[in-house]
Amino acid sequence: MTLKKLRIGLVCPYGWDTPGGVQSHVRDLAEYLISKGHYVSVLAPVINEENSPDYVTSAGKPIAIPYNGAVARVLFGPIAFARVRQWIANGNFDLLHLHEPAIPSISLLACWAAEGPMVGTFHAAAKRQKAIFAIGPILEPVIEKLTARIAVSEAARETLTEHLETDAVVIPNGIYADRYRDGEVLAKWSGNTIGFIGRFEEPRKGLSILLDALPIIARFAPDVRVLVAGPGDHKEVAENIDPQLRHRFEFLGRISEKEKADFLSSVAIYVAPNTGGESFGIILAEALAGGATVLASDIPAFDSLLGHGQYGALFQSENAQDLARVAIDLLRDDEKRRDLSRKGKDYAQRFDWDVVAEDIYSIYEMALVGSSGVTLSSENRAWNRFLGREGN
Amino acid sequence: MEKYFAIAFFVISAIWYLSYSATRLDRLHHRVETSWANLDGLLQRRAAVALEIAKSDIADPASSLLLTAAAHQARDAQMKARSQAESGLSGALGLLLNDGHFVSGSIEKDLLRELSELTDKIRIAIALHVDAVNRTQMVRAKPVFRIFRLAGSAPLPVTYEFEADVL
Repeated sequence: MTLKKLRIGLVCPYGWDTPGGVQSHVRDLAEYLISKGHYVSVLAPVINEENSPDYVTSAGKPIAIPYNGAVARVLFGPIAFARVRQWIANGNFDLLHLHEPAIPSISLLACWAAEGPMVGTFHAAAKRQKAIFAIGPILEPVIEKLTARIAVSEAARETLTEHLETDAVVIPNGIYADRYRDGEVLAKWSGNTIGFIGRFEEPRKGLSILLDALPIIARFAPDVRVLVAGPGDHKEVAENIDPQLRHRFEFLGRISEKEKADFLSSVAIYVAPNTGGESFGIILAEALAGGATVLASDIPAFDSLLGHGQYGALFQSENAQDLARVAIDLLRDDEKRRDLSRKGKDYAQRFDWDVVAEDIYSIYEMALVGSSGVTLSSENRAWNRFLGREGN
Repeated sequence: MEKYFAIAFFVISAIWYLSYSATRLDRLHHRVETSWANLDGLLQRRAAVALEIAKSDIADPASSLLLTAAAHQARDAQMKARSQAESGLSGALGLLLNDGHFVSGSIEKDLLRELSELTDKIRIAIALHVDAVNRTQMVRAKPVFRIFRLAGSAPLPVTYEFEADVL
């Protein structure tokens, strides 16, 4: 990276204190850039302002709206817009980096209000949607202000090309690969084990599909065990499990980063039966970096992350029988499992923050050519003058 | 009376829309120019690196001659002949580097690394520029923009033909 220190404004559309892929991406990127000596300010909807780090500016409390088959905690409206404008006017930024600017959120508002070097990152990978075609003409002039576009996966790029007729550079989300590189193989978690990490109570994480597949797997691999890690009330879930299968389950609760590394090295298969609503699948990248053999549903994000099955096995999404079939295949074939895990581990190094942030930074450099910083866009300047808010 | 209000409202919104569209197009032209400036800068740097490679031990006398000629051509080329000249330089670099001979010496390795970093950046810069040009052409083709001549006297941007595969 060059020595020039930049003032960078990041906009995160989703509630900062709710867990999610986009949020952790923004957080990690912000912290990486700060560690390189840049000035970074993140604008995001925040529920609890006291617990958020210094670099976060709150745009207000997020509201939950159903969007794209999931509940999105976003924020918009006149008050949010005023805060966005104020943040841009006072921030004196060299560059804005907007995340997911094509959904109704403060990212879109920031894109509307600002002028100058702007980079947009598109996370979502969705199938063709009529709704987005309908709002396309409204979004077009706004999205077209972005100097450069980044898509986090091939699937996200295709979504963008299809819906908004614009191209993007693919730069994946980042992970700290070295945290997962040297996990220990622990006896308590190895053997014929299937690992699962995530908020298992959420239906879209697909634990129920694994539950349906388990009787079939158990018939072929009698000693199979399922290890579930992640926050949530496991008693309630355990009650719904068939009593005959209950002893195969072990709920580990929330685990630390170190435990996660060991977990990923130990389990025979890491399974991700998600049914959708996944933008990138950062957990899969982490699992690959940890040397796990990954088995995932073939939703667009996972399919693209796993190189269409090259670096991990895929099964047809929401099909428990297919999940069982592939899992049995893998449990029986040690050679294939080792092969996948070795290839996956090498491949996962490209998701390391050192690589990813460098790529993002070189996009920043290109966006900065011939610019003199971010200002409120001319329409908004006129509007502010009209309302007597000059110099705001 | 109401009719006049309606007409006034219509006229004002039409004026607003036209001014908004003109700003939009102006911004696109700006994007075309800055993305070109970026690409141009990177290509100039590549030509400079190519000249250094030509002078270094990596190149044999014959390739050195070829590379020097191509690099100078790329630097001097006028806008129209530019993409052809740059493709020529890509070809000359490709000829030299793709035969896979072993490169020793830290200066040479640095040169080659710089070249490959530049090549990656150029690839992205081309994508950014092409996207800006396509967008602008698309917007300028719309009836509103044509009828009201919102582009003014700005020349229609041309796509930079660059064969990405020779990079």
